[in-house]
Amino acid sequence: MRLTVRGTTYEGRAVDLRGLGVDGATLAAAVRGDCCLPAVAPTAPSSVYDYCGHVHPEMGLRTRTALAAAGRSHGYETPHDDAIADRRERLASLDPDEPSLPPARDRVPQSTLADLRETAATERGRLTAREALDGDTDAAEQAVREATRTLSERETERAAAEESRRRRRELARAYRDRMAERRRLADALANRRRDARECLVDRLRDRYAAALDAVPGPAPTDPFEAPPVTAALAVLRVARTEAPVVLETARFPDPATAADTLDAPIIRC
Amino acid sequence: MLLVVAHSRPARRDLRNVCRAHEDCVVRQFGRAALLSWTEFAAFQALRLYEKHGIDVQLERVVPFEPADAPDDVRAAARAYEDRDAPSTPYARFASGRDLPAPDEMRGTDL
Repeated sequence: MRLTVRGTTYEGRAVDLRGLGVDGATLAAAVRGDCCLPAVAPTAPSSVYDYCGHVHPEMGLRTRTALAAAGRSHGYETPHDDAIADRRERLASLDPDEPSLPPARDRVPQSTLADLRETAATERGRLTAREALDGDTDAAEQAVREATRTLSERETERAAAEESRRRRRELARAYRDRMAERRRLADALANRRRDARECLVDRLRDRYAAALDAVPGPAPTDPFEAPPVTAALAVLRVARTEAPVVLETARFPDPATAADTLDAPIIRC
Repeated sequence: MLLVVAHSRPARRDLRNVCRAHEDCVVRQFGRAALLSWTEFAAFQALRLYEKHGIDVQLERVVPFEPADAPDDVRAAARAYEDRDAPSTPYARFASGRDLPAPDEMRGTDL
């Protein structure tokens, strides 16, 4: 491990930063790669560091989840992994964004169109009468054109409003279907992940129990009832840990012993 | 009547609250949906929900439906099928050989 804090570079399997007042949470975030300072190498790609990367007295721990992550750190797979990947992919492919709906338009009422049709017919009647009388038809022709144009405009408007209404409903329905499908997939994914976690926990149960005996701290009858710090130390002993673990607990006599027991690079602070 | 369907948890909560506060305009309330009366006040309540939750609130106009609103052959089919001797007979098999509309025929026809 290589670690640079306030201009000083530390190397080795166990680094003791006690008395420097370095924040453990910040160090752990740097190890996870969530922030770039302090500079530390190697960083941790494994999710076990999300749960046990920073061991301190106030921590909580979802022991089974952390133990499953320890299994993943060894590259263990489960029969559920394909299903998990498949559901995750399908979930990602469903667009969760709300569609933007075309604006709702007021509908031209049928009665307005009926009135306009009647007007147009009347004007046409007038024009025919004029023609029969051989009178001046200019004004009558103008009136027919006007009435026909108004009618066709309003008809177009009505059709456009109908179309936008239909489109709004279609988009909204598709969005709701998509959301329902997302919920269904998210449930299925959560179930499969739980199954996978149980698989990994079963596989590591004995090794975890043995690790509990090997790390300092009270040993409970049920291994999964162990207090968070003890459980985290046991999980770390089980996990493959190439990146440094931040220890903020006085369980070990010195950082080197911690590094040996956990088989991990240690930053003690 | 107005049908209001809530498609998200917050929308569902607010729909429940509206129904509780304005029972007078609620015809029937279901889990995530409610039938409201055909009044401006019910429309006002429905639109409030729509303004707040947008697309997560679905609004529909519901009209009464009576047996007489369906074509005679469809009504006859329903009556005959519910009166069948063997409860396990699927409708498609029941209809074939009788003078009853086939399921696909009905599916493809608007009411």
